[in-house]
Amino acid sequence: MSERLAVNLPGLSMKNPIMPASGCFGFGREFSELYDLSLLGAIAIKGTTGEQRFGNNTPRVAESPSGMLNSIGLQNPGAKSVRDNELPFLEQFDVPILANVSGSSPEEYVKVVNTLNEASNVGAFEVNISCPNVKTGGIQFGTDPEQAAMLTSLIKEATNKPVYVKLSPNVTDIAAIAKAVEHAGANGLSLINTLIGMRFDWRTKKPILANEKGGLSGPAVKPVALRMVYDVRQVTDLPIIGMGGIESAKDVIEFLIAGADAVAVGTANFTNPFACIEIIDELPTWLDQLNVNQVSELQRRGVVL
Amino acid sequence: MKSVPLKVVRNQEIAEETYEMILSGELVQEMNRPGTFLHIKIPSSHHVLRRPISIASVNQELGTCTLVYKCTGEGTRALTNVRPNDCLQVLGPLGGQGFPTEEPSTDQEVTLIGGGVGVPPMYFAARSLSERNIPFRVILGFQTEAAVFYEEAFKQLQAMDVTIMTDDGSYGEKGTVIDALQNLEQPSTYIYTCGPRGMLKAVKAAAQHDTTVYVSLEEHMGCGIGACFACVCKTEDETSYVKICTDGPVFQSNEVLL
Repeated sequence: MSERLAVNLPGLSMKNPIMPASGCFGFGREFSELYDLSLLGAIAIKGTTGEQRFGNNTPRVAESPSGMLNSIGLQNPGAKSVRDNELPFLEQFDVPILANVSGSSPEEYVKVVNTLNEASNVGAFEVNISCPNVKTGGIQFGTDPEQAAMLTSLIKEATNKPVYVKLSPNVTDIAAIAKAVEHAGANGLSLINTLIGMRFDWRTKKPILANEKGGLSGPAVKPVALRMVYDVRQVTDLPIIGMGGIESAKDVIEFLIAGADAVAVGTANFTNPFACIEIIDELPTWLDQLNVNQVSELQRRGVVL
Repeated sequence: MKSVPLKVVRNQEIAEETYEMILSGELVQEMNRPGTFLHIKIPSSHHVLRRPISIASVNQELGTCTLVYKCTGEGTRALTNVRPNDCLQVLGPLGGQGFPTEEPSTDQEVTLIGGGVGVPPMYFAARSLSERNIPFRVILGFQTEAAVFYEEAFKQLQAMDVTIMTDDGSYGEKGTVIDALQNLEQPSTYIYTCGPRGMLKAVKAAAQHDTTVYVSLEEHMGCGIGACFACVCKTEDETSYVKICTDGPVFQSNEVLL
Protein backbone atom coordinates (compact mmCIF):
# COMPACT_ATOMS: atom_id res chain seq x y z
CA MET A 1 0.00 0.00 0.00
CA SER A 2 1.41 3.31 -1.03
CA GLU A 3 2.26 6.18 1.25
CA ARG A 4 0.04 8.31 -0.94
CA LEU A 5 -3.02 7.34 1.02
CA ALA A 6 -1.62 7.61 4.55
CA VAL A 7 -3.43 9.87 6.98
CA ASN A 8 -2.39 10.71 10.51
CA LEU A 9 -5.07 11.62 12.98
CA PRO A 10 -4.76 11.86 16.76
CA GLY A 11 -4.41 8.28 18.02
CA LEU A 12 -5.05 6.85 14.56
CA SER A 13 -2.10 6.29 12.30
CA MET A 14 -3.97 5.26 9.18
CA LYS A 15 -2.62 3.61 6.02
CA ASN A 16 -5.48 5.22 4.16
CA PRO A 17 -8.39 7.51 5.07
CA ILE A 18 -11.00 4.73 5.06
CA MET A 19 -12.59 3.09 8.10
CA PRO A 20 -15.83 1.19 8.44
CA ALA A 21 -18.34 3.21 10.47
CA SER A 22 -19.41 2.13 13.92
CA GLY A 23 -22.42 -0.15 13.91
CA CYS A 24 -21.96 -1.30 10.32
CA PHE A 25 -19.06 -3.65 10.93
CA GLY A 26 -19.73 -5.30 14.28
CA PHE A 27 -16.37 -6.00 15.89
CA GLY A 28 -14.81 -7.03 12.59
CA ARG A 29 -15.02 -10.82 12.99
CA GLU A 30 -17.47 -11.40 10.15
CA PHE A 31 -15.68 -9.13 7.70
CA SER A 32 -12.32 -10.69 8.62
CA GLU A 33 -13.55 -13.80 6.84
CA LEU A 34 -13.99 -11.75 3.67
CA TYR A 35 -10.74 -9.78 3.59
CA ASP A 36 -7.65 -8.83 5.56
CA LEU A 37 -8.70 -6.15 8.05
CA SER A 38 -5.11 -4.81 8.06
CA LEU A 39 -5.94 -3.24 4.69
CA LEU A 40 -8.24 -0.76 6.42
CA GLY A 41 -7.17 2.67 7.65
CA ALA A 42 -8.88 2.07 10.99
CA ILE A 43 -11.92 0.29 12.38
CA ALA A 44 -14.70 2.01 14.30
CA ILE A 45 -16.13 -0.82 16.39
CA LYS A 46 -19.76 -1.18 17.37
CA GLY A 47 -21.09 1.17 20.03
CA THR A 48 -20.23 -0.31 23.43
CA THR A 49 -22.16 0.23 26.65
CA GLY A 50 -21.37 -0.48 30.30
CA GLU A 51 -23.37 -3.71 30.41
CA GLN A 52 -24.56 -5.95 27.61
CA ARG A 53 -27.68 -4.79 25.78
CA PHE A 54 -30.12 -6.83 23.75
CA GLY A 55 -31.40 -3.88 21.74
CA ASN A 56 -34.82 -3.20 20.27
CA ASN A 57 -37.49 -5.48 18.90
CA THR A 58 -37.51 -6.46 15.23
CA PRO A 59 -37.93 -5.32 12.46
CA ARG A 60 -34.86 -3.23 13.09
CA VAL A 61 -34.16 -2.15 9.52
CA ALA A 62 -36.31 -0.74 6.74
CA GLU A 63 -35.22 0.37 3.32
CA SER A 64 -35.98 3.78 1.86
CA PRO A 65 -35.00 5.28 -1.49
CA SER A 66 -31.17 5.20 -1.66
CA GLY A 67 -31.05 4.66 2.06
CA MET A 68 -32.17 2.69 5.03
CA LEU A 69 -33.58 3.22 8.50
CA ASN A 70 -32.15 1.28 11.39
CA SER A 71 -33.15 0.95 14.98
CA ILE A 72 -30.86 -1.70 16.42
CA GLY A 73 -30.83 -0.13 19.88
CA LEU A 74 -27.13 -0.49 20.66
CA GLN A 75 -27.14 -4.26 20.97
CA ASN A 76 -23.66 -5.18 22.19
CA PRO A 77 -22.03 -7.58 24.65
CA GLY A 78 -20.93 -4.85 27.10
CA ALA A 79 -17.56 -3.22 27.76
CA LYS A 80 -15.95 -6.12 29.66
CA SER A 81 -16.74 -8.62 26.94
CA VAL A 82 -15.53 -6.22 24.25
CA ARG A 83 -12.27 -5.78 26.19
CA ASP A 84 -11.80 -9.49 26.86
CA ASN A 85 -13.11 -11.05 23.65
CA GLU A 86 -13.44 -8.58 20.79
CA LEU A 87 -10.41 -6.32 21.11
CA PRO A 88 -7.96 -9.23 21.61
CA PHE A 89 -9.34 -10.81 18.42
CA LEU A 90 -8.61 -7.58 16.53
CA GLU A 91 -5.02 -7.48 17.80
CA GLN A 92 -3.94 -9.89 15.05
CA PHE A 93 -4.56 -7.13 12.52
CA ASP A 94 -2.30 -4.15 11.94
CA VAL A 95 -5.05 -1.57 12.23
CA PRO A 96 -5.90 1.05 14.87
CA ILE A 97 -9.28 0.80 16.60
CA LEU A 98 -11.62 3.70 17.21
CA ALA A 99 -13.73 2.49 20.14
CA ASN A 100 -17.27 3.83 20.00
CA VAL A 101 -18.56 4.59 23.49
CA SER A 102 -22.26 4.77 24.32
CA GLY A 103 -24.34 4.98 27.45
CA SER A 104 -27.44 6.16 29.25
CA SER A 105 -25.67 8.30 31.82
CA PRO A 106 -22.35 10.16 32.04
CA GLU A 107 -21.23 7.52 34.56
CA GLU A 108 -21.87 4.75 32.04
CA TYR A 109 -19.79 6.48 29.34
CA VAL A 110 -16.93 6.89 31.81
CA LYS A 111 -17.23 3.26 32.86
CA VAL A 112 -16.89 2.10 29.24
CA VAL A 113 -13.85 4.33 28.70
CA ASN A 114 -12.25 3.04 31.92
CA THR A 115 -12.85 -0.56 30.86
CA LEU A 116 -11.48 -0.19 27.33
CA ASN A 117 -8.71 2.26 28.16
CA GLU A 118 -5.97 -0.32 28.70
CA ALA A 119 -6.53 -2.14 25.40
CA SER A 120 -3.38 -1.42 23.41
CA ASN A 121 -5.08 -1.47 20.01
CA VAL A 122 -7.63 1.17 20.96
CA GLY A 123 -6.06 4.24 19.41
CA ALA A 124 -8.84 6.63 20.30
CA PHE A 125 -12.41 6.83 21.57
CA GLU A 126 -15.43 7.95 19.61
CA VAL A 127 -18.10 9.25 21.95
CA ASN A 128 -21.53 8.49 20.62
CA ILE A 129 -23.67 11.40 21.73
CA SER A 130 -25.99 10.94 18.82
CA CYS A 131 -27.62 7.50 18.85
CA PRO A 132 -31.26 8.12 17.95
CA ASN A 133 -32.38 4.63 18.91
CA VAL A 134 -32.19 4.37 22.66
CA LYS A 135 -34.66 5.84 25.11
CA THR A 136 -32.28 7.57 27.44
CA GLY A 137 -28.84 8.99 26.89
CA GLY A 138 -27.31 9.01 23.46
CA ILE A 139 -28.87 11.76 21.50
CA GLN A 140 -29.87 13.88 24.50
CA PHE A 141 -26.17 14.56 25.03
CA GLY A 142 -25.78 15.42 21.38
CA THR A 143 -28.47 18.03 20.92
CA ASP A 144 -27.57 20.34 23.80
CA PRO A 145 -24.16 22.06 23.55
CA GLU A 146 -23.78 22.28 27.34
CA GLN A 147 -24.51 18.60 27.92
CA ALA A 148 -22.24 17.63 25.02
CA ALA A 149 -19.42 19.69 26.53
CA MET A 150 -20.01 18.31 30.02
CA LEU A 151 -19.82 14.73 28.77
CA THR A 152 -16.73 15.47 26.67
CA SER A 153 -14.82 16.91 29.64
CA LEU A 154 -15.77 13.97 31.85
CA ILE A 155 -14.44 11.52 29.28
CA LYS A 156 -11.31 13.56 28.67
CA GLU A 157 -10.58 13.35 32.40
CA ALA A 158 -10.97 9.55 32.26
CA THR A 159 -8.46 8.86 29.49
CA ASN A 160 -5.23 10.03 27.97
CA LYS A 161 -6.26 8.67 24.59
CA PRO A 162 -7.62 11.07 22.00
CA VAL A 163 -11.38 11.58 22.12
CA TYR A 164 -13.53 12.07 19.03
CA VAL A 165 -17.11 13.16 19.53
CA LYS A 166 -19.67 11.78 17.10
CA LEU A 167 -22.17 14.51 16.31
CA SER A 168 -25.86 14.25 15.62
CA PRO A 169 -27.33 15.83 12.49
CA ASN A 170 -30.67 16.16 14.30
CA VAL A 171 -29.89 19.71 15.45
CA THR A 172 -30.41 23.18 14.05
CA ASP A 173 -26.78 24.25 14.48
CA ILE A 174 -24.24 21.44 14.34
CA ALA A 175 -21.37 23.95 14.32
CA ALA A 176 -22.41 25.16 17.79
CA ILE A 177 -22.19 21.62 19.18
CA ALA A 178 -18.82 21.18 17.46
CA LYS A 179 -17.48 24.35 19.07
CA ALA A 180 -18.82 23.33 22.48
CA VAL A 181 -17.09 19.93 22.46
CA GLU A 182 -13.91 21.48 21.09
CA HIS A 183 -13.80 23.88 24.04
CA ALA A 184 -14.39 20.92 26.33
CA GLY A 185 -11.23 19.27 25.01
CA ALA A 186 -12.34 17.00 22.16
CA ASN A 187 -9.44 15.93 19.93
CA GLY A 188 -11.58 15.29 16.88
CA LEU A 189 -15.10 15.04 15.50
CA SER A 190 -17.06 12.36 13.67
CA LEU A 191 -20.03 13.38 11.62
CA ILE A 192 -22.73 12.64 10.86
CA ASN A 193 -24.71 10.05 12.77
CA THR A 194 -28.06 9.06 11.26
CA LEU A 195 -31.04 11.35 10.66
CA ILE A 196 -34.19 10.37 12.53
CA GLY A 197 -36.86 9.09 10.18
CA MET A 198 -39.89 6.86 9.84
CA ARG A 199 -41.54 4.60 7.32
CA PHE A 200 -45.01 3.08 7.36
CA ASP A 201 -46.39 -0.14 5.96
CA TRP A 202 -49.31 0.97 3.82
CA ARG A 203 -51.06 -2.38 4.34
CA THR A 204 -50.97 -2.50 8.12
CA LYS A 205 -50.89 1.29 8.55
CA LYS A 206 -48.17 0.82 11.16
CA PRO A 207 -44.54 1.93 11.29
CA ILE A 208 -42.26 -0.66 9.65
CA LEU A 209 -39.70 -0.49 12.45
CA ALA A 210 -40.73 -2.07 15.74
CA ASN A 211 -39.21 0.93 17.49
CA GLU A 212 -41.30 3.15 15.15
CA LYS A 213 -38.51 5.65 14.44
CA GLY A 214 -34.99 4.93 13.28
CA GLY A 215 -31.85 6.48 11.87
CA LEU A 216 -31.63 7.17 8.15
CA SER A 217 -28.31 6.40 6.47
CA GLY A 218 -27.00 5.68 3.01
CA PRO A 219 -26.57 7.81 -0.13
CA ALA A 220 -29.85 9.60 0.66
CA VAL A 221 -28.13 11.51 3.48
CA LYS A 222 -24.88 12.29 1.67
CA PRO A 223 -25.65 15.92 0.73
CA VAL A 224 -26.72 16.63 4.32
CA ALA A 225 -23.53 15.08 5.65
CA LEU A 226 -21.36 17.03 3.20
CA ARG A 227 -23.06 20.27 4.15
CA MET A 228 -22.53 19.57 7.85
CA VAL A 229 -18.85 18.63 7.40
CA TYR A 230 -18.48 21.85 5.45
CA ASP A 231 -20.24 23.94 8.12
CA VAL A 232 -18.23 22.42 10.96
CA ARG A 233 -14.97 22.87 9.04
CA GLN A 234 -15.66 26.61 8.92
CA VAL A 235 -15.58 26.88 12.71
CA THR A 236 -12.90 24.42 13.81
CA ASP A 237 -9.47 23.06 12.96
CA LEU A 238 -10.15 19.78 14.75
CA PRO A 239 -9.70 16.62 12.68
CA ILE A 240 -13.01 15.53 11.14
CA ILE A 241 -13.99 11.98 10.28
CA GLY A 242 -16.69 12.50 7.67
CA MET A 243 -19.43 10.01 6.97
CA GLY A 244 -22.87 9.71 5.45
CA GLY A 245 -23.68 7.69 2.35
CA ILE A 246 -20.13 7.09 1.13
CA GLU A 247 -20.03 4.24 -1.37
CA SER A 248 -17.22 5.10 -3.77
CA ALA A 249 -13.77 6.67 -3.93
CA LYS A 250 -15.36 9.68 -5.59
CA ASP A 251 -17.57 10.12 -2.52
CA VAL A 252 -14.44 10.02 -0.35
CA ILE A 253 -12.86 12.81 -2.40
CA GLU A 254 -16.04 14.83 -2.01
CA PHE A 255 -15.91 14.53 1.78
CA LEU A 256 -12.22 15.49 1.83
CA ILE A 257 -13.03 18.53 -0.28
CA ALA A 258 -15.84 19.47 2.11
CA GLY A 259 -13.37 19.47 4.99
CA ALA A 260 -12.98 15.92 6.29
CA ASP A 261 -9.56 14.47 7.17
CA ALA A 262 -10.67 10.86 6.94
CA VAL A 263 -13.96 9.11 6.28
CA ALA A 264 -16.10 6.27 7.55
CA VAL A 265 -18.09 3.93 5.32
CA GLY A 266 -21.33 2.66 6.81
CA THR A 267 -24.36 1.43 4.93
CA ALA A 268 -22.29 0.57 1.85
CA ASN A 269 -20.86 -2.39 3.79
CA PHE A 270 -24.34 -3.93 3.65
CA THR A 271 -24.87 -3.27 -0.05
CA ASN A 272 -21.42 -4.60 -0.83
CA PRO A 273 -19.41 -6.23 1.97
CA PHE A 274 -16.21 -5.47 0.06
CA ALA A 275 -17.04 -1.75 -0.22
CA CYS A 276 -14.22 -0.50 2.04
CA ILE A 277 -11.38 -2.31 0.32
CA GLU A 278 -12.76 -1.59 -3.15
CA ILE A 279 -12.83 2.12 -2.29
CA ILE A 280 -9.24 1.93 -0.99
CA ASP A 281 -8.19 0.26 -4.26
CA GLU A 282 -9.88 2.92 -6.37
CA LEU A 283 -8.57 5.91 -4.47
CA PRO A 284 -5.14 6.29 -6.17
CA THR A 285 -6.79 6.54 -9.59
CA TRP A 286 -8.92 9.40 -8.33
CA LEU A 287 -5.88 11.16 -6.88
CA ASP A 288 -4.23 10.83 -10.31
CA GLN A 289 -7.22 12.44 -11.97
CA LEU A 290 -6.97 15.37 -9.57
CA ASN A 291 -3.18 15.60 -10.07
CA VAL A 292 -2.81 15.11 -6.37
CA ASN A 293 0.05 13.03 -5.04
CA GLN A 294 -1.04 12.54 -1.44
CA VAL A 295 -4.44 12.35 0.21
CA SER A 296 -3.12 14.83 2.77
CA GLU A 297 -2.89 17.45 0.04
CA LEU A 298 -6.65 17.38 -0.25
CA GLN A 299 -7.26 17.84 3.44
CA ARG A 300 -8.55 21.31 4.23
CA ARG A 301 -7.52 22.63 0.85
CA GLY A 302 -10.40 21.59 -1.30
CA VAL A 303 -12.70 24.41 -0.45
CA VAL A 304 -11.77 27.96 -1.32
CA LEU A 305 -13.72 30.23 0.98
CA MET B 1 -19.15 -17.43 1.15
CA LYS B 2 -18.47 -15.11 -1.75
CA SER B 3 -20.01 -12.13 -3.51
CA VAL B 4 -20.08 -12.88 -7.20
CA PRO B 5 -22.26 -12.27 -10.24
CA LEU B 6 -24.64 -15.07 -11.19
CA LYS B 7 -26.29 -15.22 -14.57
CA VAL B 8 -30.07 -15.24 -14.77
CA VAL B 9 -31.36 -18.20 -16.78
CA ARG B 10 -35.03 -17.72 -16.10
CA ASN B 11 -37.28 -15.39 -14.12
CA GLN B 12 -40.97 -16.19 -14.48
CA GLU B 13 -44.16 -15.80 -12.54
CA ILE B 14 -45.33 -19.26 -11.45
CA ALA B 15 -48.19 -18.22 -9.17
CA GLU B 16 -49.82 -14.97 -8.13
CA GLU B 17 -46.99 -12.48 -7.44
CA THR B 18 -44.66 -15.47 -7.00
CA TYR B 19 -41.61 -15.79 -9.23
CA GLU B 20 -39.22 -18.61 -9.96
CA MET B 21 -35.71 -17.51 -10.80
CA ILE B 22 -32.96 -19.79 -12.05
CA LEU B 23 -29.38 -18.60 -11.69
CA SER B 24 -26.21 -20.14 -13.00
CA GLY B 25 -22.57 -19.79 -12.01
CA GLU B 26 -19.72 -21.38 -10.11
CA LEU B 27 -21.10 -20.28 -6.77
CA VAL B 28 -23.79 -22.96 -7.17
CA GLN B 29 -21.16 -25.58 -6.31
CA GLU B 30 -21.16 -24.25 -2.75
CA MET B 31 -24.93 -24.53 -2.36
CA ASN B 32 -25.59 -27.84 -0.71
CA ARG B 33 -27.59 -27.24 2.46
CA PRO B 34 -31.39 -26.90 2.44
CA GLY B 35 -32.52 -23.85 4.43
CA THR B 36 -29.59 -21.65 3.50
CA PHE B 37 -30.12 -18.50 1.48
CA LEU B 38 -28.62 -16.05 -0.97
CA HIS B 39 -28.32 -12.31 -0.27
CA ILE B 40 -29.15 -10.68 -3.56
CA LYS B 41 -28.31 -7.15 -4.59
CA ILE B 42 -31.27 -5.50 -6.25
CA PRO B 43 -30.01 -4.20 -9.60
CA SER B 44 -30.84 -0.55 -8.95
CA SER B 45 -28.95 2.11 -7.03
CA HIS B 46 -32.12 3.04 -5.15
CA HIS B 47 -31.83 -0.13 -3.12
CA VAL B 48 -29.07 -0.24 -0.53
CA LEU B 49 -30.19 -3.41 1.21
CA ARG B 50 -29.85 -6.84 -0.33
CA ARG B 51 -32.75 -9.27 -0.19
CA PRO B 52 -32.32 -12.62 1.53
CA ILE B 53 -33.94 -15.35 -0.58
CA SER B 54 -33.84 -19.02 0.34
CA ILE B 55 -32.62 -21.63 -2.11
CA ALA B 56 -35.44 -23.79 -3.49
CA SER B 57 -33.27 -26.30 -5.34
CA VAL B 58 -29.89 -26.86 -6.89
CA ASN B 59 -28.90 -28.73 -10.02
CA GLN B 60 -25.18 -29.43 -9.75
CA GLU B 61 -25.02 -31.06 -13.20
CA LEU B 62 -26.32 -27.91 -14.89
CA GLY B 63 -24.62 -25.60 -12.38
CA THR B 64 -27.89 -23.84 -11.60
CA CYS B 65 -29.89 -22.96 -8.53
CA THR B 66 -33.56 -22.11 -8.30
CA LEU B 67 -35.08 -19.43 -6.10
CA VAL B 68 -38.76 -18.72 -5.57
CA TYR B 69 -39.65 -15.29 -4.24
CA LYS B 70 -42.79 -13.31 -3.66
CA CYS B 71 -43.12 -9.78 -4.93
CA THR B 72 -43.98 -7.97 -1.70
CA GLY B 73 -42.41 -4.54 -2.10
CA GLU B 74 -40.29 -2.25 -4.23
CA GLY B 75 -37.13 -4.37 -4.01
CA THR B 76 -38.70 -7.63 -5.08
CA ARG B 77 -40.70 -5.71 -7.71
CA ALA B 78 -37.40 -4.57 -9.21
CA LEU B 79 -36.22 -8.17 -9.13
CA THR B 80 -39.19 -9.27 -11.26
CA ASN B 81 -37.86 -7.04 -14.07
CA VAL B 82 -34.60 -8.97 -14.34
CA ARG B 83 -34.28 -10.85 -17.65
CA PRO B 84 -32.39 -13.94 -18.81
CA ASN B 85 -28.67 -13.23 -19.36
CA ASP B 86 -28.74 -10.35 -16.86
CA CYS B 87 -26.35 -10.79 -13.96
CA LEU B 88 -27.19 -10.43 -10.29
CA GLN B 89 -24.66 -9.79 -7.53
CA VAL B 90 -25.11 -12.64 -5.10
CA LEU B 91 -23.60 -13.06 -1.65
CA GLY B 92 -23.79 -16.54 -0.28
CA PRO B 93 -24.71 -19.17 0.36
CA LEU B 94 -25.50 -17.71 3.79
CA GLY B 95 -26.78 -19.26 6.97
CA GLY B 96 -24.90 -21.19 9.62
CA GLN B 97 -27.59 -23.79 10.09
CA GLY B 98 -30.02 -25.25 7.57
CA PHE B 99 -32.49 -28.12 7.81
CA PRO B 100 -30.50 -31.10 9.16
CA THR B 101 -31.64 -33.57 6.52
CA GLU B 102 -28.72 -35.84 7.44
CA GLU B 103 -30.21 -36.37 10.92
CA PRO B 104 -33.22 -38.68 10.26
CA SER B 105 -32.70 -42.36 9.57
CA THR B 106 -34.67 -44.29 6.96
CA ASP B 107 -37.02 -45.75 9.59
CA GLN B 108 -38.02 -42.29 10.74
CA GLU B 109 -40.46 -39.91 9.14
CA VAL B 110 -40.35 -36.18 8.46
CA THR B 111 -43.30 -33.85 7.97
CA LEU B 112 -42.50 -30.77 5.89
CA ILE B 113 -44.79 -27.80 6.46
CA GLY B 114 -44.52 -24.73 4.25
CA GLY B 115 -46.67 -21.61 4.32
CA GLY B 116 -46.78 -19.36 1.23
CA VAL B 117 -43.35 -18.07 0.38
CA GLY B 118 -42.02 -20.40 3.11
CA VAL B 119 -42.56 -23.31 0.71
CA PRO B 120 -39.32 -22.99 -1.37
CA PRO B 121 -36.80 -24.09 1.31
CA MET B 122 -39.10 -27.03 2.10
CA TYR B 123 -38.66 -28.17 -1.48
CA PHE B 124 -34.87 -28.16 -1.15
CA ALA B 125 -35.26 -30.13 2.10
CA ALA B 126 -37.63 -32.59 0.39
CA ARG B 127 -35.14 -33.22 -2.40
CA SER B 128 -32.41 -33.85 0.11
CA LEU B 129 -34.59 -36.28 2.12
CA SER B 130 -35.69 -37.98 -1.07
CA GLU B 131 -32.07 -38.57 -2.11
CA ARG B 132 -31.46 -40.24 1.23
CA ASN B 133 -34.66 -42.31 1.02
CA ILE B 134 -36.10 -40.78 4.17
CA PRO B 135 -39.89 -41.03 4.17
CA PHE B 136 -41.58 -37.64 4.30
CA ARG B 137 -44.99 -36.08 3.91
CA VAL B 138 -45.74 -32.53 2.84
CA ILE B 139 -48.30 -29.98 4.03
CA LEU B 140 -48.43 -26.71 2.12
CA GLY B 141 -50.60 -23.74 3.00
CA PHE B 142 -51.59 -20.91 0.66
CA GLN B 143 -54.10 -18.07 0.82
CA THR B 144 -55.92 -19.06 -2.32
CA GLU B 145 -55.73 -21.23 -5.44
CA ALA B 146 -53.89 -18.61 -7.49
CA ALA B 147 -51.03 -18.62 -4.99
CA VAL B 148 -50.42 -22.38 -5.09
CA PHE B 149 -47.11 -23.59 -6.54
CA TYR B 150 -44.81 -26.63 -6.52
CA GLU B 151 -47.55 -29.17 -5.69
CA GLU B 152 -46.55 -31.36 -8.64
CA ALA B 153 -42.84 -30.91 -7.92
CA PHE B 154 -43.26 -32.28 -4.40
CA LYS B 155 -45.35 -35.19 -5.70
CA GLN B 156 -42.59 -36.13 -8.14
CA LEU B 157 -40.20 -36.52 -5.22
CA GLN B 158 -42.31 -39.42 -4.03
CA ALA B 159 -43.59 -37.79 -0.91
CA MET B 160 -45.82 -40.15 1.09
CA ASP B 161 -48.49 -37.52 0.84
CA VAL B 162 -48.85 -33.92 -0.36
CA THR B 163 -51.66 -31.96 1.28
CA ILE B 164 -52.57 -28.50 0.03
CA MET B 165 -54.52 -26.22 2.34
CA THR B 166 -56.01 -22.90 1.29
CA ASP B 167 -57.44 -20.25 3.59
CA ASP B 168 -60.47 -19.77 1.36
CA GLY B 169 -60.90 -23.40 0.32
CA SER B 170 -60.52 -22.53 -3.37
CA TYR B 171 -58.01 -25.38 -3.81
CA GLY B 172 -57.09 -28.49 -1.83
CA GLU B 173 -58.71 -28.45 1.56
CA LYS B 174 -60.08 -25.41 3.31
CA GLY B 175 -58.17 -24.55 6.45
CA THR B 176 -54.66 -24.08 7.70
CA VAL B 177 -51.58 -26.26 7.77
CA ILE B 178 -52.29 -26.73 11.48
CA ASP B 179 -55.62 -28.40 10.66
CA ALA B 180 -53.77 -30.80 8.38
CA LEU B 181 -51.06 -31.42 10.97
CA GLN B 182 -53.66 -32.28 13.59
CA ASN B 183 -55.35 -34.68 11.17
CA LEU B 184 -52.24 -36.80 10.79
CA GLU B 185 -52.88 -40.28 12.14
CA GLN B 186 -49.39 -40.74 13.42
CA PRO B 187 -47.00 -37.98 14.48
CA SER B 188 -43.67 -37.94 12.64
CA THR B 189 -40.26 -37.96 14.29
CA TYR B 190 -39.37 -34.60 12.78
CA ILE B 191 -41.17 -31.52 11.52
CA TYR B 192 -39.36 -29.06 9.28
CA THR B 193 -41.27 -25.83 8.72
CA CYS B 194 -40.97 -22.40 7.15
CA GLY B 195 -43.60 -19.69 6.87
CA PRO B 196 -45.05 -16.70 8.69
CA ARG B 197 -44.01 -16.40 12.36
CA GLY B 198 -47.59 -17.02 13.55
CA MET B 199 -47.71 -20.27 11.60
CA LEU B 200 -44.39 -21.44 13.04
CA LYS B 201 -45.65 -20.70 16.53
CA ALA B 202 -48.82 -22.69 15.88
CA VAL B 203 -46.85 -25.61 14.43
CA LYS B 204 -44.63 -25.66 17.51
CA ALA B 205 -47.69 -25.63 19.77
CA ALA B 206 -49.50 -28.34 17.79
CA ALA B 207 -46.53 -30.70 17.50
CA GLN B 208 -46.38 -33.78 19.72
CA HIS B 209 -43.85 -33.69 22.53
CA ASP B 210 -41.70 -36.40 21.03
CA THR B 211 -41.54 -34.67 17.65
CA THR B 212 -38.43 -32.59 17.00
CA VAL B 213 -39.41 -29.37 15.23
CA TYR B 214 -37.03 -27.28 13.12
CA VAL B 215 -38.22 -23.82 12.10
CA SER B 216 -36.74 -21.52 9.48
CA LEU B 217 -37.06 -17.87 10.50
CA GLU B 218 -37.43 -14.84 8.28
CA GLU B 219 -36.60 -11.26 9.23
CA HIS B 220 -35.65 -7.94 7.67
CA MET B 221 -31.88 -8.24 7.21
CA GLY B 222 -29.00 -5.82 6.94
CA CYS B 223 -25.61 -7.32 6.21
CA GLY B 224 -26.64 -10.99 6.15
CA ILE B 225 -23.29 -12.04 7.65
CA GLY B 226 -23.85 -11.42 11.36
CA ALA B 227 -22.28 -7.99 11.76
CA CYS B 228 -25.22 -5.60 11.97
CA PHE B 229 -27.55 -7.18 14.56
CA ALA B 230 -30.66 -6.37 12.50
CA CYS B 231 -32.13 -9.88 12.25
CA VAL B 232 -31.99 -11.15 15.80
CA CYS B 233 -34.43 -13.35 17.67
CA LYS B 234 -34.70 -13.87 21.41
CA THR B 235 -33.84 -17.28 22.78
CA GLU B 236 -36.76 -19.12 24.35
CA ASP B 237 -35.57 -18.38 27.90
CA GLU B 238 -35.26 -14.69 26.90
CA THR B 239 -31.78 -14.44 28.42
CA SER B 240 -29.99 -14.10 25.11
CA TYR B 241 -30.51 -13.77 21.39
CA VAL B 242 -29.55 -15.50 18.17
CA LYS B 243 -28.67 -13.97 14.84
CA ILE B 244 -31.02 -15.38 12.22
CA CYS B 245 -28.55 -14.86 9.36
CA THR B 246 -25.57 -16.68 10.86
CA ASP B 247 -26.88 -18.78 13.76
CA GLY B 248 -29.86 -19.85 11.62
CA PRO B 249 -31.98 -19.32 9.69
CA VAL B 250 -33.07 -22.79 10.85
CA PHE B 251 -33.40 -23.41 14.58
CA GLN B 252 -34.79 -26.18 16.71
CA SER B 253 -38.12 -24.76 17.90
CA ASN B 254 -37.12 -24.82 21.58
CA GLU B 255 -34.08 -22.64 20.90
CA VAL B 256 -35.98 -19.49 19.96
CA LEU B 257 -38.88 -17.41 21.21
CA LEU B 258 -41.38 -17.48 18.36
